[in-house]
Amino acid sequence: MSAYLCYIPVQQERPTRAALEVLTHLRTLARRDGAQLAACVLHPAADRFVEALKPYGVDRVYLVKHPVLDRHLNAPVLAALEAVFRAAQPALMALPSTEAVKDVLGALATRVGAAALPDVSAFDTGASITATRPVMAARVLADTEATTQPVLVSVRAGSYDARPAESPSEPDVVEVPFDFDTATLRATLREVITGATGQVDLSEADIIVAAGRGVRDEAGKQLVEELARELGAAIGASRAAIEAGLFPASLQIGQTGKVVSPTLYIAVGISGAIQHVAGMAGSKVIVAINKDPDAPIFNIATYGIVGDLYQILPLLIEEIRRIKAES
Amino acid sequence: MNICVCIKQVPDIQAPFRIVDGRLQFDVERYVLNAYDASAVEGALQLVEQHGGTVEVVTIGPASVSETIRKALAMGAERAYHIEAEPSGWDSATVATVLAAFFRDRSYDAIFTGKQAQDTDAGLTGTMLAERLGLPYVSNAVGLAYEDGHLIVTRQGDAGREIIELTLPGLVTISNDMNDPRIPSIRGIMQARRKPVEQLTLSDLGLSDDALRPQTRVTGYRPVPPRAPGRKLEGEPAEVVRELVRLLREEARVL
Repeated sequence: MSAYLCYIPVQQERPTRAALEVLTHLRTLARRDGAQLAACVLHPAADRFVEALKPYGVDRVYLVKHPVLDRHLNAPVLAALEAVFRAAQPALMALPSTEAVKDVLGALATRVGAAALPDVSAFDTGASITATRPVMAARVLADTEATTQPVLVSVRAGSYDARPAESPSEPDVVEVPFDFDTATLRATLREVITGATGQVDLSEADIIVAAGRGVRDEAGKQLVEELARELGAAIGASRAAIEAGLFPASLQIGQTGKVVSPTLYIAVGISGAIQHVAGMAGSKVIVAINKDPDAPIFNIATYGIVGDLYQILPLLIEEIRRIKAES
Repeated sequence: MNICVCIKQVPDIQAPFRIVDGRLQFDVERYVLNAYDASAVEGALQLVEQHGGTVEVVTIGPASVSETIRKALAMGAERAYHIEAEPSGWDSATVATVLAAFFRDRSYDAIFTGKQAQDTDAGLTGTMLAERLGLPYVSNAVGLAYEDGHLIVTRQGDAGREIIELTLPGLVTISNDMNDPRIPSIRGIMQARRKPVEQLTLSDLGLSDDALRPQTRVTGYRPVPPRAPGRKLEGEPAEVVRELVRLLREEARVL
């Protein structure tokens, strides 16, 4: 029986939503094709996450446990994914398209001799494995196909909904032998500089408040932060807002930064340059607040308010507080 | 430090285009140096300006890529290698195979690539090349420094910025967030005309058609389905905001 394998990154002690989205679609394909649904977790204490995968109906879980997998570094992650790949021999391996996955996808494909379809918004199996890829800054969709097997597919967050299976499974658990000599590392991690702690991760967030060039100063930044706090939202930014020095680069949304697709995206003072839209056009509901009535963001916004964010945001914060107090 | 930067000529993604029978057709053929590669050239030039060494560039393509080569030379690269080929229909793996053949008998302290090409946004070639050459690598670099024979690379990761010490020789894929590439000066443009461009063929690199067979292909292009038209709310700010919140709760049901 052929196997479809899903890589499950964990964050804050649970599988990421993006991974469960990919797993859900892979389950649909596996059930249709009569393939085994496998998942893999790389973590110093990988066993902890088996429980969270049972509702998703996985048939088998591969675990790689090693202290070096505590933080992302490409050489050990690559070696661990290679070990799982060789153990599982999947026809198709799907991975959520995170920065960590982008860091290893090409190298992994080379190492295991697989074709790679990166950063796709849809994929399917059939006579060949096919995928839809947004290209040209997401202005066009390319229909692509792998002409060899096996195939690696990395999937944009928000491409599918994460849904548990009709009935949970009791998967086989396979621990993949893995040894990694850190003395062989030719690229070593000195430190990780994280942004403010306790913030909601952008690619996992249901609601995002994103700041653009229109947010000019500390006062504007505070309004964005206050709105995000009231909504329990993550904060994102366009390249222009980051270059203005108000927000850290880790919050960048767009062709170069993160690709997000939350339920609600509130674009504050964002004009809607194609490079930015490439990273957020998949959002379910888009709200745009911008002074310029001709800003291209209004072309994709579900609801648009033409107005000064310095005037609109305080009113919006107040209104949200009011309805929260009511309910 | 001797650095070779892999560069690619790409269509200008801002240029108007149409999709005709599943093919992309540009109204005007406008090609540019891939923005990520321009940042890679800039990053390499800055390192060499501080620490000595040379910057060379390599590209693959038909004769028309010479404009992009000149751009990199005008920015300050000293020498270029032009691997003559028609890469339409190739995938990232094919490009990485050709580049690996180029680098196999050459020795550089570092190879830089853009982190992705702005037309395909695949982002595979750099790490595929590193793996083929057995080099350690860092991807999505936003900062570079040279210390005691190592590159100290700042990488934008999922959770924050990772400071990575890379042993050389090594490969770095570079984000356009690292720098603003310089605009070539008139002097740079004049000098570029005299800089050497070495032409190579695929057979010079010992590559057979078999080795160049892609593993993936594009079967067609189609437009992105348009979003349902939205609504602009107009009027008194306080009323508009109340209406927005009402719509978000009652119509869109996202609050």
